[in-house]
Amino acid sequence: MTIVTQPAATPPVANKGDVLDPVYRQIRDLVYKVSGIYKAEDKLYLLADGCGRRMKQVGARTPRDYWDQLTAQPSRDGELRQLLNEITIGETCLFRSQPQLDALRKVILPEIVGEKVKQTTKRLRIWSAGCSTGEESYTLAMNMLEEKERLLQGWTVEILATDLNDRSVETAKAGIYGDYAVRNTTDFYKRKYFVPVDDKKLQVRPEVKKLITFSRLNLQDDSKMLFMKGMDLIFCCNVLIYFDGVSKSKVINHFFSNLNFGGYFFLGTSESLMKLNEQFHLVHFPGTIAYWKPSLNSGKL
Amino acid sequence: MNASFTASIRERVQQIETMPAIPAVFLPLLKLLSGSAEDTRVDEVVRLVSYDNTVAAQCLRVAASPLFGLAQPPKSIKAAVISLGLRRVETILLTCCMGQAFPATKWVLDPAVFWKHSLGCALVCRKFSEKLAAADVEKAYMAGLLHDIGFMVNCLVFPREFAAAMELAYREEIPLGEAELATMGFTHCETGRALAEKWKLADEIIDVIAHHHIVEQSQKAQPLPALVHLSDLLCRMRGLGYGYYERHKVDLVSDPAWTVLLQEHRDLEGVDLVRFTFELDEAVEEIQALVSTVFGAAPAQN
Repeated sequence: MTIVTQPAATPPVANKGDVLDPVYRQIRDLVYKVSGIYKAEDKLYLLADGCGRRMKQVGARTPRDYWDQLTAQPSRDGELRQLLNEITIGETCLFRSQPQLDALRKVILPEIVGEKVKQTTKRLRIWSAGCSTGEESYTLAMNMLEEKERLLQGWTVEILATDLNDRSVETAKAGIYGDYAVRNTTDFYKRKYFVPVDDKKLQVRPEVKKLITFSRLNLQDDSKMLFMKGMDLIFCCNVLIYFDGVSKSKVINHFFSNLNFGGYFFLGTSESLMKLNEQFHLVHFPGTIAYWKPSLNSGKL
Repeated sequence: MNASFTASIRERVQQIETMPAIPAVFLPLLKLLSGSAEDTRVDEVVRLVSYDNTVAAQCLRVAASPLFGLAQPPKSIKAAVISLGLRRVETILLTCCMGQAFPATKWVLDPAVFWKHSLGCALVCRKFSEKLAAADVEKAYMAGLLHDIGFMVNCLVFPREFAAAMELAYREEIPLGEAELATMGFTHCETGRALAEKWKLADEIIDVIAHHHIVEQSQKAQPLPALVHLSDLLCRMRGLGYGYYERHKVDLVSDPAWTVLLQEHRDLEGVDLVRFTFELDEAVEEIQALVSTVFGAAPAQN
C-alpha cells in the first residue's frame, strides 16, 4: 500500500478560524469511524484543508454539500478514499514521529533485551508493513545502528520492509531523498548516515541499507502473511485506513500472530485499532501509543 | 511507611510557619462548585470572588486575555462568568486561589509545569467522569486539581530534599514519586495529606491526595482515587507531566485502579481510550495558554 509522499502542491487553504463550521466535526467523526484516523481540534484545519481541495475537485460549494457527497451513494466510498488520500498527504518523512522512536529506544528495547537476555540468539526482527518509499524503514535502521553501539551490542537486527506497490519498493531501495523528506532529520544523522547525491538530494549509506530487506507484499495475501513470523516490532502507519472493517480485522489478527510474545505494534500517530482486536493491549508511552502482545510471563494474556 | 513517620511529617507540616494559609474564599468556593444547581451557583460564585480583591482582579485579567478571544474585556466578574461560562471561570478562580497560596519565590518545581499538570488532571478527571456518567463530575475535577498539592508542601518544607528527588527523577527519567521515595523516604502523598488535613479538606479529597498512586491502600478502594490515578497517568503520557521524559509504559486497562473503577462504573468497558487520548490532546493547548496567562504575566501574590 502506498501513500503519496510528496508535499501538497498547493499551500494550505484553511486556517484555524475556518473550521468553525460544525460540519467539519461531523466529517472528523465520519473519518474516525471508517478509518480510525482522528484529527484533534488543533489539527482540524488540516482536515478542512483536505476537504477544501476535494470540494474544488468535486464542485461542492459548501462543507454541507461536500458532507452530502461523502455520505450519499454512489459517490460515498470513492470520495472517502480520496479524502483520506488528501489528509495523509505529506505525512511521510524520515523521523516522522520522535515520540515513537523515544518509546522504542528508551522503553521498549530495554524491555525486549531484558526478556531475551537468556536466549542464545540475540536477534531483533522489525517489520515495516506498508513501507511506501522507505522513509520509516531507514529511520528505524539508523536508530537501530545507534543502539548497536549501546544496548544492542552483538545483536543481529533485521528489518523487513514491504509494500504492495512495486514502484514504491524500487524507490525505497534507492534510498534517495529530497529536502522535504529529511526535514526532521538532524545534521548528526545526515552526516553519519547519508551521502550527498547533488545539491538537493541525499542518499542513504550502504551500511544502513544492509539492515533492510525490501520486498513486495500484499497484506491481504493470507498465505504470505502466515510466513511473516517471529517479529518483535511491527510498524504499519497510515495503511490500514484504506481497508474496510473485515479486511482490517483480518490483517490485524495476522499481525498479532506474526509478533513474538512481548512484541509491539505501532500505527500512525493519529490512528487507532478501534477495538478490532481485543487481544492486543493498548499501551501509552510519553506522546505516543502502541499495541502490545503481552509476554508469556506477564500473566496478562 | 510506618505510623510514627507519618505523624512526624504531619507535625513538621503543622509547625512550619511559612505553610500556606488557605485563601479565605477557597473552601467556600470548593464547596459551592461541588454543588449542581447552576443558576444559584453563578450569583454565589460572583459574590465569593468579589469578596477577595486580588482574586477578582486576577480573574478579570485572565478573562480579558487573548486566550479567550472575547470582543470586549469583561468589566465585572458577572460579565466574565456570562461570557466565559461558569466552568472556565471556575478553573481560573481555583488556579488564581491556589497560586495565591504559594509564594512565587519558594518553588523548587516550575509552577507553570505544576499547574499544567494539575489543571490537566482536573480536566481529564472531569471528562472521564462525564464518559462514565458519574454523578459527581465536579468533585472529580476538584480531586484532579488538588491531588498533587504535596509537591507544593515539599517545595516549602523540604526544599533541599525535594530538589535532590527532582534531580534524580530528571536524570534517571523515573516517576517523581519513585524518586521521592528513593531520596526522601516519603512522597508528596504523605505531605499533601498533612496539608489537606490542616486545611480541613473533605475526607474524599484527602483520600485522593494520600492514595492516588497506590489506590489499593485507599480505605475502601474508592473509585475517586482510582479515577485520579488513571487520569494522572494519562496526563503524564500526553505532555502534561512534570516537564521531563518518563521512561514509562502505561497499560491503563491492566492497572489495578481500572478494576476498582470498573466495579463502580460498568460503562468504563465501552470507553474508546484512544479517542479519549486524542481528545485530551486538544485540551493541552488551552491549558498551557491558561497557565501562562495566570502565572506568566504577573507572578502569584506573596
